Amino acid sequence: MSQIHVDPHRLTVMQQVRNFCIIAHIDHGKTTLSDRLLEVTKTIALREMEDQVLDAMDLERERGITIKMHPVTLDYLAQDGKTYALNLIDTPGHVDFSYEVSRSLAACEGAVLIIDAAQGIEAQTLANYHLALEHGLTIIPVINKIDLPAADPDRVMGEIEELLVMERNECILASAKNGIGIEDVLEAIVARVPPPRGHREHLRALVFNAQFDPYRGVVSYVRVVDGQLRPGTKFMSMAHERVYECTEVGKFAPQMRPVDRLELGDVGYIIANVKSLGDIDVGDTITEAAKPAHVPLPGYRRAVPMVYCGLYPNDGDEYGDLRDALEKLKLNDAALVYEPESSVALGFGFRCGFLGLLHMEIVQERLERDYNLDLIATSPSVVFRVTKTDGAIETIDNPSKLPAMTYIRSIEEPYVKSTIITPPEYVGAIMDLTQSRRGTLANMEYLHDGRVILTYEMPLVEVIVDFFDALKSRTKGYASLDYEVIGYREGDLVKLEILLNGEPVDALSFIVAREKAAHRGRALAEKLKELIPRQMFEVPIQAAIGGKVVARETVSAIRKNVLAKCYGGDITRKRKLLEKQKVGKERMKRVGKVELPQEAFMAVLRLDD
Amino acid sequence: MHLGVYVHLPFCPYICPYCDFAKWPMRARRAAEYLDALRAELARTPGVEAATIFLGGGTPNSYPAQTLSALIVDLRAQFPPAPGSLREITVDINPELVVPGDFDAYVAAGVNRLSIGVQSFVPGEIRTLGRKHTAAQVAAAVEQARAAGIGSISMDLIFGVPGQTQASWEASLDEALRLGVDHFSTYGLTVEEGTPYFRWRRAEPAAFCDSDLEADLYAAAIDRLEAAGFEHYEISNFAKPGHRARHNCNYWRNGEYLGFGVGAASYRDGVRSVHTRNLSAYISAAMNGSAIPGESERLEGARRAGEAAMLALRTEQGVDLPEFKERYGVDFLAYYAPVIEGLRAAGLLVIEGACVRLTRRGRFLANDACGAVVTFEQPAET
Repeated sequence: MSQIHVDPHRLTVMQQVRNFCIIAHIDHGKTTLSDRLLEVTKTIALREMEDQVLDAMDLERERGITIKMHPVTLDYLAQDGKTYALNLIDTPGHVDFSYEVSRSLAACEGAVLIIDAAQGIEAQTLANYHLALEHGLTIIPVINKIDLPAADPDRVMGEIEELLVMERNECILASAKNGIGIEDVLEAIVARVPPPRGHREHLRALVFNAQFDPYRGVVSYVRVVDGQLRPGTKFMSMAHERVYECTEVGKFAPQMRPVDRLELGDVGYIIANVKSLGDIDVGDTITEAAKPAHVPLPGYRRAVPMVYCGLYPNDGDEYGDLRDALEKLKLNDAALVYEPESSVALGFGFRCGFLGLLHMEIVQERLERDYNLDLIATSPSVVFRVTKTDGAIETIDNPSKLPAMTYIRSIEEPYVKSTIITPPEYVGAIMDLTQSRRGTLANMEYLHDGRVILTYEMPLVEVIVDFFDALKSRTKGYASLDYEVIGYREGDLVKLEILLNGEPVDALSFIVAREKAAHRGRALAEKLKELIPRQMFEVPIQAAIGGKVVARETVSAIRKNVLAKCYGGDITRKRKLLEKQKVGKERMKRVGKVELPQEAFMAVLRLDD
Repeated sequence: MHLGVYVHLPFCPYICPYCDFAKWPMRARRAAEYLDALRAELARTPGVEAATIFLGGGTPNSYPAQTLSALIVDLRAQFPPAPGSLREITVDINPELVVPGDFDAYVAAGVNRLSIGVQSFVPGEIRTLGRKHTAAQVAAAVEQARAAGIGSISMDLIFGVPGQTQASWEASLDEALRLGVDHFSTYGLTVEEGTPYFRWRRAEPAAFCDSDLEADLYAAAIDRLEAAGFEHYEISNFAKPGHRARHNCNYWRNGEYLGFGVGAASYRDGVRSVHTRNLSAYISAAMNGSAIPGESERLEGARRAGEAAMLALRTEQGVDLPEFKERYGVDFLAYYAPVIEGLRAAGLLVIEGACVRLTRRGRFLANDACGAVVTFEQPAET
């Protein structure tokens, strides 16, 4: 490492800065502890802050996850008599956003790792711990909820020693709910987390988060690693090599407050007339345009969508509205990608890519709720890599685009490493489940308390289709899950087509392992039979692989649909009833002669194993 | 064009759990008050010529025959027939309330048609429907009506009753045919929101007939009644030649009618209106001479034509093309061309001579056929 130039005054200031984040498995108490830290340091209550920061994010709150929260600076008078600026950088709480988590960690020197005193280490605890370790962070383990009757801090400390290779005496015992141990956490942050270090020259700042403000454009959250940023600084985003002029820099106090400069070690925001979130990515390095740094900060990659689905307006006239809504969402969601596509069955729509299934659901709900669109979503798919017989490689994010089998030499699909922590009595059930999902057991480890850590390698597509719910229901909610993508592997995959009335329906086809294709074809045909209302004619449903029918069901024709009475007093009512019936039909999608309810297109998600 | 007069008498000896009409349990004082209110409403209505008078309910024969006859005599005076025209005066009755001599009084008052609420002859089904008559009481009522000289007798039957089978339904039909009545209304059970049946079906949907069984029962009714010489002249109605319900035919021809009493509907000068179903509100408005609360809707243009078509398609004759054009200014075949094409292709509709009517299959799927017509909106011209 080269020499560090820092002026003495700045040094003392920097010595009193700590950049840290809080990481935890879901429900282990991250929000409550954050809340307490804010309270004890007389910063604003988190709940108030949420109202200010997240006013447009009902969805996240409903789902108990935060996707984006801005950082906050806690002024803390420590026992050594000095006041420290503790920058708390929030991390998203879901595996879909693990890249964002890693960028947030990269902006810190320390991490508070919360572990539930009753539940002990869970899958996301491990994943978060390893992520923090990779970033070289100082980790402060906090055993939370020690007030619970089922709390067993001693056991949990044993797990920490065993799995996290940390000392028993490093653990802080706390109950964020009852305000126990909060001071200890703050003192540990001051004492254990190193102050930021860096070069005074050669601006490099890490963009670890960003939000779109309709009036000011993109507000990028940065950690200045080297050098400084002022209003007027002409800077360059190293990923896109675009130059902007800084119009405002500021800190979170906790509201955004402009300052005259951000210096190395600082966490703050910059505004620079950036129009779209895609122009400066999360993970990007900002450097001075005039004398750019030679090397960007490590770890940048473009957010890569893992899950794709087709989104179509139920009413074709709303195509333009859907396009406008996607454009607007994209402003505040750099990870969302979309491009126009058309389907024989569904008309014009968009192929949309998401970080994961939760991200997909959030975007769909937003489009329907905030933009009042009536959407049809097709079953989610992953990105397959197809090697054709002529050696050309194609990536396929839409099953209907899969070339004919005769042109395919091989198909590869993304794999994940999933980590499952479970009480031992559910191991059998989990093995059955993962086997049905084409998982292979990579490792199995017993914890002191008898719980088991199972590590599987399995195809991503098997995880996105309802795996988490299936796992939870088979383990009465006790198992925890985390997964990360580990690359592409060849699979024996085929396209399963669904034919209605003898016509293939492109929006219903999907790519599936050959060994499971016939079974899934039958299950899907049965599910569709349940979902498709009876029509005026018989509707045959067929599932076919490479033109060979593997399953057939029939929705028999409706034989009676008539209102018995129509006398003087019934006429108006009857007309209204028929009008309502028509509205019901209009909510369905006409594919050929067949009227399909919207749920039919997601039927594959609702199949039982 | 003929005008129909409908009078609603909402009291019943007991309340059937499937019934969705405006109805209340019989209480002598309340019923007397109501009759005063009804007479008050009639008193402020100018007399006009009317071809048919229909007393429906409720259970009109909850009132003593003398009271009912007196009301009918007054109605006849207020709504005289057009010179030289036939007159139809119908009363809905519940068979077990009939007392010997009732029908003589009705006939003396001018009643010439009787509609008997039977619903079923199978004891289990009668109980399920919450009704209290016996097959013998029905037979006695028919016999007395004939003896009194009532010229046209109709019977209501319900299919799709929970627990009903094709065999039990056919048993009811056969029993009804054996009694030699002139007209049948066979209604598929409709479960309406707010009724005890609605709650029952929500709790125990499997107790109710599925639509395939209903289709079989409906088919059995059509086959049996047609074989016995009845004309299937409307979706739910069958008549021996000369015994069609003229009052009801007027509804299906989109004719005008005046309705009196709580919850009663009228159609006059292009306006459909309906009185409140709140009994107290009706009585007090009628008694103090203020307007009777309710709703009304003026029908114009496509909506008016659509409703007319919806009604006409229920009948054997269907839409009479020249008449339709004359009355609504719409060329039915041209205006509804896209809909008609689809329905013909699906086998629900045929064009025969100057009429468009439902096929047998179309009658089973009348909601699909009528729905397509009544909700059709011609694409805006560009």
